[in-house]
Amino acid sequence: MNRRLRNALKGLMAPDGDRRRRAMEPFVRATFDMFIRYLYRYLGNEVECEDVLEDVYADIWENPERLCHVATERELLRTVYMYYMRKHLREVYRRMNRHVCLPQKDLENLTAPELGILETMSQAELTQVLARAMRRLKARERRAVELWMEGYSSRAIANELRTTVGAVKMLKFRTMLKLKSMLNEYCDKS
Amino acid sequence: MADMNRTVQELLSDYAGALRDGSVPIFLQSLTRQEGQTIASSDEFWQATEVVRILNGVGFAGKVATADVGLFMSRVDANIVSRLKKPKTSSRTRRTTEGRSMTKPHRTEERV
Repeated sequence: MNRRLRNALKGLMAPDGDRRRRAMEPFVRATFDMFIRYLYRYLGNEVECEDVLEDVYADIWENPERLCHVATERELLRTVYMYYMRKHLREVYRRMNRHVCLPQKDLENLTAPELGILETMSQAELTQVLARAMRRLKARERRAVELWMEGYSSRAIANELRTTVGAVKMLKFRTMLKLKSMLNEYCDKS
Repeated sequence: MADMNRTVQELLSDYAGALRDGSVPIFLQSLTRQEGQTIASSDEFWQATEVVRILNGVGFAGKVATADVGLFMSRVDANIVSRLKKPKTSSRTRRTTEGRSMTKPHRTEERV
């Protein structure tokens, strides 16, 4: 953990609410990028990400105790997700539950799942691992994922790969599972 | 009537697209009861969603990371101020019980 973040965390442990409030600014500046990227994984919408993160920071200000023994960035991310982010993530779509044909438990799992090893990796580590896994894919599988990440629709990918939309959807599904097993392999090794 | 329910791979593709485009609520609302059951019972779907989320984080999160932190900080501060004004939720129950025990003798005093 870098010095800036360590000092910001120390400031949050002040018993006085006003001092903690002043300490929030360096903490937000040190962690905003990390937290918002993390939330974006689950919501994919920057407005919702900022709304959730606002409440997360206010919760941290109110009850920072969970963070007092945090020593690494990974631990910080894990703790913040477990104790501060997750409940707010679950709230985002809870109101919709009445109109959704998905059991409450599955809806929660879709928006705020249990943490796997992959999900606590840092952005840099994930990018590296993912790049390595992508290199091991077949050319067609890699191309489909790359195009999807560039923002192509399934139809556009199908046009590019000269195949059908159904085949592209199947290809993406199989590739995701393949990537998952490759990433699991990496986690087992490390 | 034609079977309009999507298969697991179609559902995953639509979920991935919705996550990428920031329209997960639309995806959720589009689910039929049968599709909800398909999702719930498919282990492969849940495994694949984990990768979809990671790809979403790696590929597209850069868009939000450039947001104005200073402006956002003022939102956080306003949230904190509003919480300072409000009584704490956790202590509300305690206060209520304290209040009850306080009011009882007060009422009896009045009667006396």
